[in-house]
Amino acid sequence: MSESNELTAASATLETKVAESRTLDTSVLNKDNERIELVSVEQWIENLDELSKLGVGVIVNPSDDVTLLKDTLNDITLIALDFNNFDDGRGYSQAYLLSKRWQYGGEIIGINAHLDQLQFMLRSGVTSYKLLEGYEGFDELDYSNGFSICYQAAANNSGLKEKF
Amino acid sequence: MYQYSAEDSKFLVERVDQFEKQLKRHLDGDLDAAKFRSLRLRNGLYMELHAHMLRVAIPYGTLNTIQLRALADVADKYDRGFGHFTTRQNIQYNWIELSEIANLLRELSSVGLHAIQTSGKATRNITADPLSGLTEGEIADARPYCELIRRWFNLHPEFSWLPGKFKIAVNGAKLDETALRVHDLGLRLVRNKEGELGFTVYVGGGLGAAAMVAAETASFVPCEDILSYLESAMRIYNLKGRRDHLKKLRIKFLVRELGAEEYSRLVYEDWKQTRDDPKLKLNLTHLSELKKDFALPIKPLVIEGFEDKVDFNYSIWKKNNVRAHKISGYSIVNVSLTKLGTAPGDATSEQMRILADLADQYSYSELRTTKRQTIVFPHVRKDQVFDLWQSLEKYGLASPHQGTLAQIVACPGGDYCDLAKAVSIPIATRVQQRFDDMDKLLDIGDLNINISGCENSCAHHHVADIGLLGMQKNGEEHYQITVAGETLHDTVIGKKLGPSVSGDNVVDAVEDIVNVYLDNREEEEKFTEVFKRIGIKPFKERVYE
Repeated sequence: MSESNELTAASATLETKVAESRTLDTSVLNKDNERIELVSVEQWIENLDELSKLGVGVIVNPSDDVTLLKDTLNDITLIALDFNNFDDGRGYSQAYLLSKRWQYGGEIIGINAHLDQLQFMLRSGVTSYKLLEGYEGFDELDYSNGFSICYQAAANNSGLKEKF
Repeated sequence: MYQYSAEDSKFLVERVDQFEKQLKRHLDGDLDAAKFRSLRLRNGLYMELHAHMLRVAIPYGTLNTIQLRALADVADKYDRGFGHFTTRQNIQYNWIELSEIANLLRELSSVGLHAIQTSGKATRNITADPLSGLTEGEIADARPYCELIRRWFNLHPEFSWLPGKFKIAVNGAKLDETALRVHDLGLRLVRNKEGELGFTVYVGGGLGAAAMVAAETASFVPCEDILSYLESAMRIYNLKGRRDHLKKLRIKFLVRELGAEEYSRLVYEDWKQTRDDPKLKLNLTHLSELKKDFALPIKPLVIEGFEDKVDFNYSIWKKNNVRAHKISGYSIVNVSLTKLGTAPGDATSEQMRILADLADQYSYSELRTTKRQTIVFPHVRKDQVFDLWQSLEKYGLASPHQGTLAQIVACPGGDYCDLAKAVSIPIATRVQQRFDDMDKLLDIGDLNINISGCENSCAHHHVADIGLLGMQKNGEEHYQITVAGETLHDTVIGKKLGPSVSGDNVVDAVEDIVNVYLDNREEEEKFTEVFKRIGIKPFKERVYE
């Protein structure tokens, strides 16, 4: 990586950090357009008994350890994975673990999503998404379903011919 | 020879279509530079000092002549008439116009070539022994496995946004021509006690500023379980790799920080949960089809009364560039593109077409590319090697320097690359000029000199007999010297000789090192063998005296 590129990447990371603190979502509309309150992973673990009665969702940031949620998945109404940082790919592994490995049955919504990453998110196990602003007016299908074939097993390969 | 199916070609075109839309959004101001950068890199496109550079993959280093001619056409139509064969079985073009990129990629897709994941933080082109399938004692031809692994990690939904780039090499031969233990992940084909085929896995190797030899994380992963193991190895990296420090993104830093044992344990714990998933098993039907596609096009041949020609220059060339083929009656011929004063690995479109014509005539239309930036003709009839040599000579492609110290591996360096701290090619030229006596070159024998213009180590200087690393010191170009690195038999990172040497003095230093080797060599000893016997001291004394 060149120095100028490093600087670009560093400033991009910084921008994302600022954006993260600014847009920390406290609620989200689910796929049925109902507003679901969101709590952090920490809050969920600490106030499990109370929160599990309230039908709240949990917001997972890239740095969160999703294994902490593994034993209480049945009580979580919705899980929101934050894809704000374009180059941080941890959300894809989080989606895979929740959806495929632990068979979480609720909605996994990708928030602060980027148009160009929809195909990766959806195939990793994200079940719905909310794009960041600025992606209006483009055909989402070009990016969520732009291929006819896939070369690997994944949480969700629907609509793709599997070649592996 | 293996070729992409219609559905594979369609996939390549779909990828180009998508990239073209992203490019348009970027040019229209609807996709910012940082995100576009991330996307264009995953399509092999760099912004360089003067223009855009495109890196096209040559998977496992195997090319057919139709593909090589297509690469030549691209060089003429979209570049300035040449391409640069890299140390990792790719070809790079340095003068690409953004507006032409989609058409260029579409043309390549029609011959099964692409630039997908040749850059960016994802699984890069998977390299293999360039002599796969050709040498005696090989466990198995690595290429069918490479192809299945390549496919699996092609736009993998979970692992396309890793902390850093991820380079995989696979070797099935006795000698390691891939340098697999300086890769992020290296796979060595092995057989267990029961005779079953599998892989020994090494993770966390790398060159660059902190050169490391990869640690063995699994001694035997059965073939059919390799995809699930690789996924686990990448999942731990994706979740736990350093993303906070730009100089610690590669997996080697994670392995070092966790310790190889702990990293291996985490991978194993994850793998236990997926290895029995039938969807993650290597598809043995596909494997056997690929084995047929990669089967050698030749049968053993008895050439009655064959005696090779006697010619001084031919004999020298042959000694350095022709190797035994495991199939009787055939030879493996290595062709160097290196010429004095040009970037090693550079080939003009004319040279590419000549090589394609010669490969059609002499080598079953097949060529291989190597990490020494040479081109291999894999199957040449023994009684046609002389004819091939004559043709190569005619076109200036049979320099007797090949296979000697004068065949230097160098990155483009400060003349072309905006990352470089110092020049590479002019140093290579000066070394070649210093050692221009053919008798001396032959006496020295095969000794690797690799020159990298910066810590990114594109020329793999750490694993050369003599490695030079360009740097800046008090505003001047200096070179740090490492000696006795190797990968062929064992993987050893070269030792630093001492303080860096100025550009003016570096060629003297190289000559000193070579002379210490010659003064101390016993019989046929290689450079690394002499170094092991006498240690670093005599080299230090001579260079810094």
